[in-house]
Amino acid sequence: MALDPFLDGGPADDAPLEPLACGRDAATAWDRAEAGTVPDEHERGCPHCTAVRADAAGLNSLVHRMAAEDIEPPPSVMERVMGAVMSELRPHDLLLLESPHGTNRLGRPAAAAVLRGVVDRMDGLRARSCRIEQVPDRFDADVAITVTARFGVDLASVTARVRQMVIAAGEQALGVPVRRVDISVVDIWGDG
Amino acid sequence: MTKVRLNVGDSAVARIAAQRAALVPGVVALRADLAQALLGVAGSVLGQDRSRLPTDGVNAVVRDQEAEVSITLATRLGHNCRELCQTVQREVAAEVAAQTGLAVTVRVTIVDVLLD
Repeated sequence: MALDPFLDGGPADDAPLEPLACGRDAATAWDRAEAGTVPDEHERGCPHCTAVRADAAGLNSLVHRMAAEDIEPPPSVMERVMGAVMSELRPHDLLLLESPHGTNRLGRPAAAAVLRGVVDRMDGLRARSCRIEQVPDRFDADVAITVTARFGVDLASVTARVRQMVIAAGEQALGVPVRRVDISVVDIWGDG
Repeated sequence: MTKVRLNVGDSAVARIAAQRAALVPGVVALRADLAQALLGVAGSVLGQDRSRLPTDGVNAVVRDQEAEVSITLATRLGHNCRELCQTVQREVAAEVAAQTGLAVTVRVTIVDVLLD
């Protein structure tokens, strides 16, 4: 005796799997509608079979319409997602900013970019890397910056100029007092 | 006498805060976090109610009569980050308090400083 009609090659044709209220199989009615078969006499008069045929037609048109539609992401998607990825900073990527209303935070990469940016604007110098470490439980920071200098620039004065620039930018642009500045001149470049 | 209880939701506070924060000089943009950005993208693809004010970059939690608001923003070189944060804290806290009557704590995170 067959216990499971599915394992035994499916149910007999005349045993409806999902009988409608009219006794017909919903799947059969659906398949007939999908195949484009003209409704027979029963189907034309039966509200249940008509509903199934309408369902089939509805899904069919929906699927085809959506498949035919070109989904165009709005132009700023890349920008927005990248901005969000950049904003997802972990706690150790943040510097603390003093405030009487509760401590605020500043992204460490953004702060380092500012210091590199101001050093880049100095004549004869280019910033390479910049690391900012805030003193634990305080607001002042130690900055380590590497620069390259144009051939002929007085290297002895580079340290003093960069130091002054970093301290001033830290205070004026970031609001982070700079306690110590380590400067390494790592390379020299020519004008050509 | 009729008693009326007013309960202000997180989204309402976030929208007020976002509106006010964007008006502070030096705030270039409020930066959505990843979840907000993806929801925004999904919303613009699927079509969304455009009358809703944005809350990108702002998260608000209301508990009892206190609201905690965190704001993530980008600024431009030339605005002192520490002072900008304090201004945003003051302005947003005052605005939210005025509109909702809640006590407000605002925390600001600057994630980007535009250099051009």
